[in-house]
Amino acid sequence: MKMRALMLVIPIAALYLLVPLLFRSNLYLMSLMVASLTIGGVALAWALLGNLGGMVSFGHAAFFGVGSYVSALLTMKLGLPVLPAMLLGGLGAALASLAMLPALRLKGPYFALAILAYAQIFRILATEFRGITGGAGGLSSIPALPQIFGFDFGSKVGGYVVILTMVITFVFIYYLIRKSYYGLALKAMHESEDATRVVGVNSTLLKALMLCVSAFMTGMIGAFNAHYINFLEPDYAFGASWTVVPIIAAIFGGYRTILGPLVGAIGVYMIDQLIFKNMLPTGHEIILGAMLVGMIIFSPTGLVPLISKKIRTRRFQLWSQNN
Amino acid sequence: MLKLDDVTIKFDAITAVNSVSMEIATNEVVGLVGPNGAGKTTLFNAISGLVRPTSGQIFFNSTNILKAPLHTRARMGIGRSFQIPQPMHELTVRENLLVAQRFGTGKLVPSKVDEILAFLNLADKAQRNAATELSLTELKALEVGKALATAPKLLLLDEVLAGLETTGKRSFMNMLMDLHKKYELGILIIEHDIETISTLCSRVCVLNFGKLIADGTPNEVFRDPQVINSYTGGANA
Amino acid sequence: MFELILQALYSGLLTGASYALIALGLALVFGTMKIINLAHGELVLLAAYIAYMTESWMKINPVFAIPIALVVVCLTSVIVYFLVSRIEKDRELNSLILTYGIGIILTNAVLLLWKADIHSTGNAWFQQPLVLGSLYSMNSEVIFSVVSVVLMVCVWWWLSRSWYGRAVRAVSSNRDAAKLMGVNPQWTELISFIVAGVLASFAGVAIYSSGVIQPAMGGSLTVKAFIITVLAGAGSIPGVLLGAILLGVAESLTITLYSSALQELTGMLLFLLVLFVLPNGLFGARGRRG
Repeated sequence: MKMRALMLVIPIAALYLLVPLLFRSNLYLMSLMVASLTIGGVALAWALLGNLGGMVSFGHAAFFGVGSYVSALLTMKLGLPVLPAMLLGGLGAALASLAMLPALRLKGPYFALAILAYAQIFRILATEFRGITGGAGGLSSIPALPQIFGFDFGSKVGGYVVILTMVITFVFIYYLIRKSYYGLALKAMHESEDATRVVGVNSTLLKALMLCVSAFMTGMIGAFNAHYINFLEPDYAFGASWTVVPIIAAIFGGYRTILGPLVGAIGVYMIDQLIFKNMLPTGHEIILGAMLVGMIIFSPTGLVPLISKKIRTRRFQLWSQNN
Repeated sequence: MLKLDDVTIKFDAITAVNSVSMEIATNEVVGLVGPNGAGKTTLFNAISGLVRPTSGQIFFNSTNILKAPLHTRARMGIGRSFQIPQPMHELTVRENLLVAQRFGTGKLVPSKVDEILAFLNLADKAQRNAATELSLTELKALEVGKALATAPKLLLLDEVLAGLETTGKRSFMNMLMDLHKKYELGILIIEHDIETISTLCSRVCVLNFGKLIADGTPNEVFRDPQVINSYTGGANA
Repeated sequence: MFELILQALYSGLLTGASYALIALGLALVFGTMKIINLAHGELVLLAAYIAYMTESWMKINPVFAIPIALVVVCLTSVIVYFLVSRIEKDRELNSLILTYGIGIILTNAVLLLWKADIHSTGNAWFQQPLVLGSLYSMNSEVIFSVVSVVLMVCVWWWLSRSWYGRAVRAVSSNRDAAKLMGVNPQWTELISFIVAGVLASFAGVAIYSSGVIQPAMGGSLTVKAFIITVLAGAGSIPGVLLGAILLGVAESLTITLYSSALQELTGMLLFLLVLFVLPNGLFGARGRRG
């Protein structure tokens, strides 16, 4: 147990210390890192809802947007400091997810579409209530992340540290839930919900909790993003990209594992921004769409498990040839 | 302990259970018999909470549980095993019982779980995948095990012996007799085998077409002409 | 005030009828295969852009684009079918993600080929007003609605009378039983995708003739289509028309009484209402949703 914890410390330390050291002068690369971690966090929250909660969502942009706006408005209209406002942004998104509770009863595809409808509704509401949200023009000059002990968290490197910490925390929370008895019950609920209810599991409550946790995480990340780029508008904050790219990332990296979505997000986003965007400045999303199609047909659980399976099969072939 | 008061359960035009009233005292072993389709499993579903009665009341230890959700009834002490075994998927046998105990009693006492596994002869299958690696007998034992793990005061057993061959049936029967002695709980058991019922139960209730047509000791009930008719399809059934 | 409401109802009726044509293809595929083709709106969009291309290159009435649109869109629809039929597990959910991905591909393909500018027909006749009493509409709106209703009647007749139509209904109600009776489900599914393509082609050309088009439209067309499909419930063609008209009228009234920005909201709220309260849709056959 101690050995495993120790083994984690090294890569985490590297992420915190090496990456900024190597790249802090290349602001473009740093901002790519921050953006890919942002998407990775949403991908993680999406996968959590799918794996633990058993629900596939097509509308995580709703939570992202609500978190962004709640946090931005709390700092701008009520003068709250940024970090607590971000937490409240997450809570706001979790509260918003309560409005989606009736959808828990729906079967898979219908739940996905219902959440899609909710995302659209929130976007329209954010555009309409211009008195509060600044309407379609959006909010600008959103307060940046603060300076603490002389370290400017509002800078690119500072933002990187904050999102990295958030993501690592969320990974840990995901891990804890999955390991607990709640995680076991949730696993069993996918295919045998009545069997769990009959022994005392309040399955509806557990599913609702997973929705809230996923919403909270996504909302907090949205809040971070708002204070990082200092600008918000409804079509951006509630935009389909915040739903779609995390889904592609999660499936690409293997959504059944905890780290898969993160790895997928960094991979997919970097490749998209560095390569695809240069090939096709407008419409580079077409390649992402093709990737999604390819993955669903050839490997619904993601490419990383597929590749590792191929490696294991190859190793076995080599072993059996030699024995 | 359990009291059914004029319970009727209708599904659209079909009346599955018709004005059934019965009582079960603490520590009593009662049999529930009747031809196929008589409404026995539906009655179980109503007691455990899978189905809402159209009319009537259900009391458990003087509390009206008519509106109580499934998981609450489990925590109150109503344990249920399903006729077609429903193990918790993707979990091992031991995990099945641990989850049942954790959520059914609110506490985790692994030693008790191991005790139940040993009692049911499942100890060596403890790490097997419950849904994919067990034989029918073991699945049925697991059903009982899950229910036992919730520390029930009333155990509803739905045709645990069905589908087992003779030796399996015999050992299961012995296990059920030991169960009552060891765990001090009330049992309501659905079975078709008259010998089993007569051996295990102090009282038998007979359902036919949803109505309760007899309620007494096995001796009385199995000589009742109405009961015999219901099984042989006579004019008075 | 009364005049305004009457006009709103009339416009809503016409709009609704045209929505029905857009939705029918999606509803048909949903009825046959129980999957929602999220790329359907993009098929309509493709047809609309083919109409634009025909008009701007060949300088003729966009109506003549229909044959070309039919070929291209039906071909694309067939490709979608083949991709969807490759899915092995969890077909309902995976096809949702798959067709979403196809939708992204098609939208971006349109973007790459025709850029992001908006276009509309140059043919002035379509935009000319047609006045019935005190009710105002455009020529194109009325024609679109008429074409829509005519095509719906054709499809309804085809489903209930022809051999292919009966096979489609057999497969959608009980796939295995249909197989035992000699019906090949894959053929019927393919046919419904082709028919959906035909309907999408007409809808696309009609949209180009009566309004503006731009690449981002595909998504909102799909959304309208599946809202109407869910409103109608599975297996009901009259339901699609009525559901579409309901949506059209509701949107029209929202625009008149509140503001045009809330128009989309109406659709979403209607959608959620039906999902939660009436899982079988307004007119659908029995089938549990939850």
